[in-house]
Amino acid sequence: MNPLELTLGIMTAVGGFVDISELVFAAKAGSTFGYALIWVFAFATIGIIVFSEMSGRVAAVAKQPVFNLMRHRLGLKLGLVTLIASVISSLITCAAEVGGVALILNYLTGAPYLILAVGLTVALIASIWVIPFEWIERSYGLLGLFMVVIAAALVAIHPPWHQIASGFVPQVPKGLTTKELLTFGYFAVAIVSAVMFPYEVYFYSSGGIEEGWSIKDLLTNRLTSIVGMGLGSLLAISILASSAQLFGPTNIDPEIPGTAALQAAIPFGKWGLILALLGMFFAVAGAAVETCLANAYSIAQFFGWKWGRHKKPWEAPRFTITWIALFIAALAIVLTGVDVMTLVEFAILFSILVLPLTYLPLLLLAGDRKFMGQYANGAIAKVLGWFYFAVVGCAAIAALPLYFLTSGGNG
Amino acid sequence: MGICILCLAACSSGPSADLQYIKQARSIGAEWALINEQAETHQLTATYVASMHQWLHDGLTTAAQSLSEPDSAYGHEIQALLAEPADAAPETLRGHVNKLKRIEDQLESA
Repeated sequence: MNPLELTLGIMTAVGGFVDISELVFAAKAGSTFGYALIWVFAFATIGIIVFSEMSGRVAAVAKQPVFNLMRHRLGLKLGLVTLIASVISSLITCAAEVGGVALILNYLTGAPYLILAVGLTVALIASIWVIPFEWIERSYGLLGLFMVVIAAALVAIHPPWHQIASGFVPQVPKGLTTKELLTFGYFAVAIVSAVMFPYEVYFYSSGGIEEGWSIKDLLTNRLTSIVGMGLGSLLAISILASSAQLFGPTNIDPEIPGTAALQAAIPFGKWGLILALLGMFFAVAGAAVETCLANAYSIAQFFGWKWGRHKKPWEAPRFTITWIALFIAALAIVLTGVDVMTLVEFAILFSILVLPLTYLPLLLLAGDRKFMGQYANGAIAKVLGWFYFAVVGCAAIAALPLYFLTSGGNG
Repeated sequence: MGICILCLAACSSGPSADLQYIKQARSIGAEWALINEQAETHQLTATYVASMHQWLHDGLTTAAQSLSEPDSAYGHEIQALLAEPADAAPETLRGHVNKLKRIEDQLESA
């Protein structure tokens, strides 16, 4: 295990943890319910750690990416349904990320939003084409670390630490009306969905195969998942806590991503604002790249095409055309003028519906001793895996009713 | 039965259906006030302020257009907020916010 590689992997996971959905829902959750939803972030983070570690382990031991397994374990028909659902979910998520990046760049430059969306899509496509695979994820993830300024801003505003600490204890605030309880439920489901997006597992496991992971990389996989995602989650929790402190008491329910940047501007002024916006820009741009590639991986793996960014683009032509077409499709959605926040809400809804189908074949294969040998799920991974599978199943059932009954969390 | 409830929730009109837009307008007004307050002390870049003003104004316009009863007390208050200049004083904006918040609280307790 190379310590430098490990450090870079962990830092990349930290900087790449936050995407547009987490940015929006963390800020809204904090302003609406104070610190009471912190535990949901922590709870969902354990879930994504469990499944990321599992998917990385399967990639290292069985050399099988998630979608390949899905077709074999779910059968062709159910596998195809899962593929279609996950492509729609990841495409909407990608469109939300592209729109989000354009919005953030608009705050930085003032240039017209739609022109920025077009220019950015071209730049993102060029970056995937030119940059070697391991540096695609790293460069966006590491530059996303500028967002640490928001965690520093939280310290600078002297929040009530005991209340933040008590937010880690599972709770439902007392004295809520039925409507508020439903809204709390909607936020909880949305946070689980935003943290456990299916594209993250597709990208992580396919990335492991791209980088040629083997059994000797299992410790790196485990540490990157646990430490990187754990620290990344603290960044999202910082946004929530700052929002609870700064926005809740002033009647603000953040409606657009730019509001979160104010959290750094209030204690640190212009430089805090610029660093926060830069961090958000790279983190969300990285998420746009990941969602697009994850989608292309899924399609190529399902149909058995040659795939991977470690190959020259012309050596895997159908895979290359797919990821470029997906970026263009995401841009087309943004150019219709649909609101980024609406895209975020749809991405959250679609993703939670796909989550159980994503995690079931992974759980089955990671626990199969014939396939994984001594590296099959142990008792802890089994219990946690099936527990979180049940949780995302319940969340998937509750998502649509909660969305309609609460007007998308707006009461 | 469940589908009927969802449809009713999605298709209802009147003040209770407008509540989400009142909340949205109140929040946008409060955010606008905070931005102008920070801008007065030079904490923000001019580009960010201009961009946020534009997005907040768009959001407020959408909220106003989505009301099923625009000719109501809250409809008039949202229009009054929309009529304020981009660099309106934070206190003026918070005046509108407080009125919208009172209407919101009344509707929620009704």
